[in-house]
Amino acid sequence: MGGVADILVIDDDKDLVESMRIILESRQYGVRVAYNGKQGYEKIEAKIPDLIILDVMMATDTDGFDLAYKLKHQPEHQNIPIIMATSFPQKMAEEGPEKFQHILGESWPISHFIEKPIDPEDLLIVIEKILTEHKMETTQLSA
Amino acid sequence: MQPGYALVKEQLFFRKELIERLPWLIRLRWAVVAFGFAGCGAVYLFRQWLPLPLMVLLSGVLCYNLLFLLIWRRLSPFKSQGMHSDSDPSFIRTQDILRFNVFAHAQISLDLFALCLAIWYSGGICSPLALFVIFHIILTGILLPPVSCYLYGVLVSLALGGLVWLQQGAHSPTFPFWFQDVILPHDGNPVEIIVRYAALATAVLITAFLVTTLKLSLRTKGRELLRLSKALDASNTKLTALYEMVKEMGICTESKALMDSATRRAAGIMGVKACSIKLLDEQQQKLRFASTYGLSEDYIQSKESIDIQKSPINRKIIDGAVYAIGHIEERDYFAYPEDIRKEGIASLICLPLRVEKRVFGVFCVYSEAAASFTESDVQFFMLMADLTALEIEKLNMQLNRIWFLQKAAHQLRSPLHAVISMLKILQKGYLGAMNVKQEDTVLRCEKRLELLDGQVNDLLSLSIRRTALNPDALHRVHIPEVLRVLSSLFESQARARTIDIIFRIDENLPAVMATDRLLDDLLTNLISNALKYTPPGGKVTVCLTRNEAGGIRLEVTDTGIGIPEQDFSRLFSEFYRAENAKDFSENGTGLGLVIVKETLDQLKGTISVSSRIGEGSTFVCLLPA
Repeated sequence: MGGVADILVIDDDKDLVESMRIILESRQYGVRVAYNGKQGYEKIEAKIPDLIILDVMMATDTDGFDLAYKLKHQPEHQNIPIIMATSFPQKMAEEGPEKFQHILGESWPISHFIEKPIDPEDLLIVIEKILTEHKMETTQLSA
Repeated sequence: MQPGYALVKEQLFFRKELIERLPWLIRLRWAVVAFGFAGCGAVYLFRQWLPLPLMVLLSGVLCYNLLFLLIWRRLSPFKSQGMHSDSDPSFIRTQDILRFNVFAHAQISLDLFALCLAIWYSGGICSPLALFVIFHIILTGILLPPVSCYLYGVLVSLALGGLVWLQQGAHSPTFPFWFQDVILPHDGNPVEIIVRYAALATAVLITAFLVTTLKLSLRTKGRELLRLSKALDASNTKLTALYEMVKEMGICTESKALMDSATRRAAGIMGVKACSIKLLDEQQQKLRFASTYGLSEDYIQSKESIDIQKSPINRKIIDGAVYAIGHIEERDYFAYPEDIRKEGIASLICLPLRVEKRVFGVFCVYSEAAASFTESDVQFFMLMADLTALEIEKLNMQLNRIWFLQKAAHQLRSPLHAVISMLKILQKGYLGAMNVKQEDTVLRCEKRLELLDGQVNDLLSLSIRRTALNPDALHRVHIPEVLRVLSSLFESQARARTIDIIFRIDENLPAVMATDRLLDDLLTNLISNALKYTPPGGKVTVCLTRNEAGGIRLEVTDTGIGIPEQDFSRLFSEFYRAENAKDFSENGTGLGLVIVKETLDQLKGTISVSSRIGEGSTFVCLLPA
């Protein structure tokens, strides 16, 4: 696996983006980057990636969530797997500010939630798993 | 309530007195008869002579009293309803009142007749029994309306006059007995008799006047008291409901839920069709519905955003009015009265939601009736709106404070995470191999930063818990289920440190009042601590059993470094770490056990510690079921 997948990393922390680029490129993934939700959306429109790694708080507190929510409601984008990366522990994001509450739950479009700091090996395992599952799903759908 | 119905209810309230007095009159008559016979007995004892006519009369009274008792048993509203005489009089039908009145008149007239006979047979106008007519008038005054009292007053005077006439005329004498020659002259001179009569008749009439005046005044006071007690009752009901409303708002942890509770409760308490809360936007130009109760979707959507410049009633509130009442007929208040009319609203009242002088929204109640708001309603709404505003503000402040803390923590952790991620790339060789010293240094950097990260995490968790005005709503949770989710994490930590971890969980443990998160905090901190301070090759045992009190006993035992006795007292203080703990492990925030203690406080649980240096420690938590 690997090599062919196109991964879009959207995070406003340039150091972190570069770290992820190094990790992902070590497995020959194609890496594109964006530094906020708006830029990210433009890149998605230009070419639909196989996977998005998305930060939560960027230009605004909910920039990442807003983008995920928007994608979820667009038929052409709603199947893109998303890995949400955040400095909030997951349980805090679930129980925390009510701004998140309406996005979480039934219509939650995120495939996976990872907490920062990112462990390179964990990240690669998660990516591989999601891409495999996603590939199986799309194969089943087209069959 | 219909005014007619209220009046009937009030009349019934007073007539209840008549109905209660009727059996009392019958009981009183038994006493009179008994005293009468006793008196006759006394006469016989002293004078060896029986006043026969009086005894016949008393027997007559006895008979008709028996008859009255039988009639009363049939009439009594209390008996037929199986209720006590202090019950609510509202069940007495108005047509029954007439029967009670007739019954009362019958008793009083017969008594009057009997009394006149007794007076006649005991010395006429000079008889000491003549004074008893006064009691009669008092009784009449208590039982019957003022007119009847005067009527009986006049009747009594006439009857006494008749006696005087009989006494002075051909039919004289009365039947004089023991005082005929001893105390009172029954054939005294006419002037004296007339003077006696005049005095008695005047006394009767004055008594009638006094009793009725007194009764009227008492009745007025009673009516006022009744009105006050009704008003008090109504305001007590409202205040209790308001208290419930504030209590419900107080436990809300989300603004939407709080405002929904406010609108629903407010409409219920005031018995109005609908209620809404609109909040001002940041530009202070538009109002948006934040919560509604009883309004149709169409109406809400048509007014999704209200420009305050175009809505006079809302503008008045935003401009600082204490309240504004709108009647749909007075069109000048409304930009779109048709919409409101279509919604079935005839009048509405708007109040500001404000904290101190700052207005941040509008609280509205809508009524289907025109002009249905009284001044006391308005006062009550103002109280309700002010309390709601305070609750909204309190919750917002709390949410903002939590949000700030989380954001601050995020800002602190973001650079940390970036650095840790970069160090991991270095350490794992993504940028080429390092020599041993380089790798060791990078690893140390990483560990220190992870410690700092943990500290920020713990600080955040503690601050949020201390900020929260409302503790998390507890519900029934099974600890073994929470532990099962976490156990794989602990097992992998233990494996990494070559420590044996053993879980002993009893079957059929009761659920405890908690939340998953609180139990997660408790278990994670206790077990991680045990693992952290146990050297490789050691053992950590986690036992969950039922305690004697029916709750749960959680025991975490390790074979670790132990805790020096002098440190026991400070074990649960912030940032405190025992010396041997610092020597053993650099990793430790000094907040883990503080979180454990505060979690247990929230769960109403207790913790105890026992430990021996170099042998290990045991933490025992008791949780109520």
